Amino acid sequence: MLLNFDRLGWWKYALLTITILAAAFLLLPIFFIAALSLGSSQWLIFPPPGWTLQWYRELLTDPRWLESAWTSFKIASIVTVLSVLLGLVTSFGLVRGTFLFRDALKALFLTPMILPVVVLAVALYAFFLRVGLGGTLAGFVISHLVLALPFSILSISSALEGFDKSIEDAAILCGASPLEARIRVTLPAISHGIFSAAVFSFLTSWDEVVVAIFMASPTLQTLPVKVWATLRQDLTPVVAAASTLLIFFTILLMALVALARKVLKS
Amino acid sequence: MSTYSDASSVSAPAPRALRPTGFSGVVPALAFVAIFFIVPVAALLLRSVLEPVPGFGNYAELLGSATYLKIFANTFIVSGLVTAISLLIGFPVAWALAIMPGRLASVIFAILLLSMWTNLLARTYAWMVLLQRTGLINKMLMGMGLINQPLPLVNNLTGVTIGMTYIMLPFIILPLYGVIKKIDPAILQAAALCGASLWQCLTRVLLPLAVPGMAAGALMVFVMSLGYFVTPSLLGGTANMMLAELIAQFVQSLVNWGMGGAAALVLLVVTLSLYVVQLRFFGSQNTGGR
Repeated sequence: MLLNFDRLGWWKYALLTITILAAAFLLLPIFFIAALSLGSSQWLIFPPPGWTLQWYRELLTDPRWLESAWTSFKIASIVTVLSVLLGLVTSFGLVRGTFLFRDALKALFLTPMILPVVVLAVALYAFFLRVGLGGTLAGFVISHLVLALPFSILSISSALEGFDKSIEDAAILCGASPLEARIRVTLPAISHGIFSAAVFSFLTSWDEVVVAIFMASPTLQTLPVKVWATLRQDLTPVVAAASTLLIFFTILLMALVALARKVLKS
Repeated sequence: MSTYSDASSVSAPAPRALRPTGFSGVVPALAFVAIFFIVPVAALLLRSVLEPVPGFGNYAELLGSATYLKIFANTFIVSGLVTAISLLIGFPVAWALAIMPGRLASVIFAILLLSMWTNLLARTYAWMVLLQRTGLINKMLMGMGLINQPLPLVNNLTGVTIGMTYIMLPFIILPLYGVIKKIDPAILQAAALCGASLWQCLTRVLLPLAVPGMAAGALMVFVMSLGYFVTPSLLGGTANMMLAELIAQFVQSLVNWGMGGAAALVLLVVTLSLYVVQLRFFGSQNTGGR
């Protein structure tokens, strides 16, 4: 009864109300930010007295914002490529391999996911100060890769676990070299896993704040760091515009994932 | 599928399963993780017992000072509150999601995922504006006549709790949804047939069956809250620090690596031991904490 929606009686309406309120609670900030970024008041009055694209203009004509967005994009792209390549090689080893401590090793690779990010950020900050990687592009890429790699290994190995290896063996029996079989048979079959690994890696790096705050230098900062630094000074609507662009990018990528899942799985 | 492997094992000296293979594949990742994850974290923790002088002085200072104990208390109280409120809101939502008609459920799911993947800073910024004295929430409450003066909702632990609950809600709804979805409706029908009222069905059948999911989800949210940095430092103000911010401050402004490492170790030990509890009792759960 309790698990049958139509037979819940008035409880049904109570549950529905709570759910819709919770959904509204989750959506409110996202809509609110988008509305603020188009509002004409500098003092973030809502509802705004008028609508304007002024904040976007300010954002898109300020070389510092553009530069940090470009930095973010560059870092996220490099991280994505490295994370997918490393994730692929590692997943094959973890899923197909038979060696001691295989499960322990997999657990080790996933630990950065559960570690409080601030601990990792501070640890890498200290390490990079010693080896001279602080504030460099390589430093950003490495630290974001530490966070992205677990997602990549997780999605690729679960795709690989779901793939029947005998199909690859069959290709080899039919005369393909092992490498050829992997590239032409296995990789296309696990492409949905590779694709989600790429998207997760990109988003992990693109949205990363905590580590980036410690990595950043006056000359090199990512978009979230720029947002963070601006927020510490004032709540200008330019940040709302930047945030809306960040959100827009995320939605675009999520839609791409949904689309790709449909296409790749069919 | 076994025929192929049998055929290949004829030529192999040892049975396939016993021969270690594939290790070379994990070597690059292992090297990377060792250099850029294990070494830095280990080095940071080592500094807590080596700097400024070898010994446990940093830990004595950290656990013996009222200022730091207050920060620990803040961290645990806020994390506990966030967990309790998320559970209270999350349970009915997960329940409704599990039994809702498909189309409505998928809309709610889309909203959950959207909010989970929306930039953390963007969402925190939204709450900074929404909760300020002249913000929308205060205006609405005053407009409805519930309050006469704007409530101080930001730059204090209230703000942190609201902002963090907002962020954690999807993380508790999704695992709870999985658990409730797996409960066999026949059990509840049996209870009803035996004469249980709706309320009895809820408290004596449904809730007990969902307890493992609730405990696992709550533990996960609690652990994630303990280490949160961005939201507490933006919504909390300087007077109400939490543990993650303390670590950052030791390192960035005070350049006190010994104390920073000690605070990091405390956070790490609490986090990892709660994860061990979770793994032991509830199996693994996916996380995505920052």
